[in-house]
Amino acid sequence: MPETSGAGVRPTNAVPDTAPPVHTDTTAKWFLISSISYFFIVGIIALTIAAKFCWPELLGTVPYLTYGRLRPLHVNGMLFGWLLACDMGLTYYIVPRLCGVKLFSEKLGVATAVLWNVIVLGAVVSLMAGWNHGFEYAELPFPLNLLVVVAWVMYAINIFGTIIKRKYEQMYVSIWYFMGCILWTTFVYPTGNFATDFATGVNQANLNWMYVHNAVGLIFTPIGLGIAYYFLPKSAETPLHSHRLSMIGFWALAFVYVWTGAHHMLHGPISQWLQTIAITFSVMLLIPVWAVVYNFFATMKGQWQQLRENVPLKFIMSGIVFYLLTCFQGPMHSLRSVNAIVSKTDWIPGHAHMALLGCFSFFAIAGTYYIVPRMWNTKLHSEALANWSFWFFMIGGLGFFVTLWLGGFWQGWQWNNPSIPFIDTVKALQPVWLVRFFSGILMFCGIVSFAYNIMATVIGRREYAQ
Amino acid sequence: MLSRADNSATFAVGAALAFFFLGGLLTTVVPPMVDKSWSRPAPGLKKYTPEQLKGRAIYVREGCWYCHTQQTRTLVADTKRSGWKGVDSPISTPDEFVYDTPHMFGTKRTGPDLSRVGGKYDTQWHKTHFRNPRDLVPGSIMPPFPWIADKPEELGALIAYIQTLGRAKDWRPDQDYEK
Ligand code: HEC
Repeated sequence: MPETSGAGVRPTNAVPDTAPPVHTDTTAKWFLISSISYFFIVGIIALTIAAKFCWPELLGTVPYLTYGRLRPLHVNGMLFGWLLACDMGLTYYIVPRLCGVKLFSEKLGVATAVLWNVIVLGAVVSLMAGWNHGFEYAELPFPLNLLVVVAWVMYAINIFGTIIKRKYEQMYVSIWYFMGCILWTTFVYPTGNFATDFATGVNQANLNWMYVHNAVGLIFTPIGLGIAYYFLPKSAETPLHSHRLSMIGFWALAFVYVWTGAHHMLHGPISQWLQTIAITFSVMLLIPVWAVVYNFFATMKGQWQQLRENVPLKFIMSGIVFYLLTCFQGPMHSLRSVNAIVSKTDWIPGHAHMALLGCFSFFAIAGTYYIVPRMWNTKLHSEALANWSFWFFMIGGLGFFVTLWLGGFWQGWQWNNPSIPFIDTVKALQPVWLVRFFSGILMFCGIVSFAYNIMATVIGRREYAQ
Repeated sequence: MLSRADNSATFAVGAALAFFFLGGLLTTVVPPMVDKSWSRPAPGLKKYTPEQLKGRAIYVREGCWYCHTQQTRTLVADTKRSGWKGVDSPISTPDEFVYDTPHMFGTKRTGPDLSRVGGKYDTQWHKTHFRNPRDLVPGSIMPPFPWIADKPEELGALIAYIQTLGRAKDWRPDQDYEK
């Protein structure tokens, strides 16, 4: 298994460093700054809906702020306003460097960033107004969906345009993942947002779940892993353990993920054979996950002492542990017996937050901490504050995940005993939701310290000759 | 294959798309062709009236579906919880949902499943409940919806929709449950 180098011309597992072209990074800067602002704003929404579980009458007379409108705002705002935008910003930085050329077009990139902001602000207005398309992860109304497609095409042109011009023939694994993400999204997104309108009932739900599952599996996973594959060797200053293993992980992901959508309707009104296919492939997901996790851990061999000081590395390595846990939970949930307990309970938000906050947001934060000082040619405002932000996210996150798992499991157990009235299972979860709210406050402190640190780095920067 | 894909972007793109379409088509386009019950309406299923559709749009707008599912699954506990007066509810089947768009199966049960709630409570109950759920069910965390309760035509439409849920199967033990 261990294997140190690829083709021999240039070690494929060492991220290329020499960057003769001068990168202006305007696009990356725009994307990062706006995504971090949304991280903060949507964090307030997140706290509000967590509070509504404890105090349901909070803001209860204002239609625009009712739970059912703020929840999609929270989900879409975090997914598209924060995480995807931050990930895109990071790729605008990474891809030109991996290809040894300048970004195809900074002008196009800045236009994409502007359009992206229009979309996010449009989403805020329409979701609060109750203009909801009615599908999870695909809540945005039709005109905004169209704009997303336009923005995505602009993004694709820029990234592929850069890759085609590349100086190094062999492509580092991160490029693989970015290309996969862009291509798959081009089909996954329209399936969830347009194709669903031409179907009804179970057929429509099946398309919807195909999209929901692959929004995570074929959008956030490949782009997030590509980012981690770049920043792990970079911030640890050590070569990746195995290029070949990373390719195996990539192709296994490409093959397995798309089959699993129906596992969102296990035991539900959808054909049994389709449920069985979804379960089989869900279990097979363990293969690509293992390939990634093994590769990361093997890369860290002999480098673990760096975790003490290196904040980006802390985020990446805890992110990968959360990735392992999430991706272990996923296949387990898809087993019929486990599903009968945890499905539809509060366990599920615990799981989802571990994937999107604990894993992919951690990768994005690591990348941001790494590139912001470099892009602005300065030093991070405060290493100590960055370390604080890590611990806020970590403790808040763990508090959130663990209480929801325990609470959700207990809730599912109670539901399976029909002699317990439903309302008693609601009352029983009150303490769980209270702990979740306070964990949310800790996570929000993480967001604030992260955002402040980046802002202070950019605004109060002193140029350093590097 | 690995090394080919490594150096040729065209090959990589082709392979990534081939894998995607294989799984994608087999799990989304083929199933409705194989399983006809996905599109054949159940014998007792009625089309929504304009008023019920309006109520359904309110259900979508207010995000009721983030807290309520509409599916009685193949689990004993589900059939008992959706049941009524000691009679278990029938399991939800695909043919009960062919007129639903957007579908409202839901993923989270912060509140109880609503797949068989049609006919469980009368109009007055719903009206009070929407104004403030805690007046009827202490400990509930369902949000209050005074702006619906105050608008007779919205309230009427929403209740009309709620009363259709689960009616495609005639299963309730006695018929006068709506009082
Ligand atoms: C924050 C989550 C939440 C939202 C949003 C929500 N509900 Fe509820 N709902 C609950 C809870 C919890 C209960 C159980 C306690 C009760 O009856 O109030 C409930 C109960 C109900 C019941 C009674 C079910 C039964 O079998 O007793 C109905 C009907 C209902 N909700 C309809 C709606 C409608 C319609 C909407 C949207 C306008 C809605 N709910 C929005 C949480 C929610």
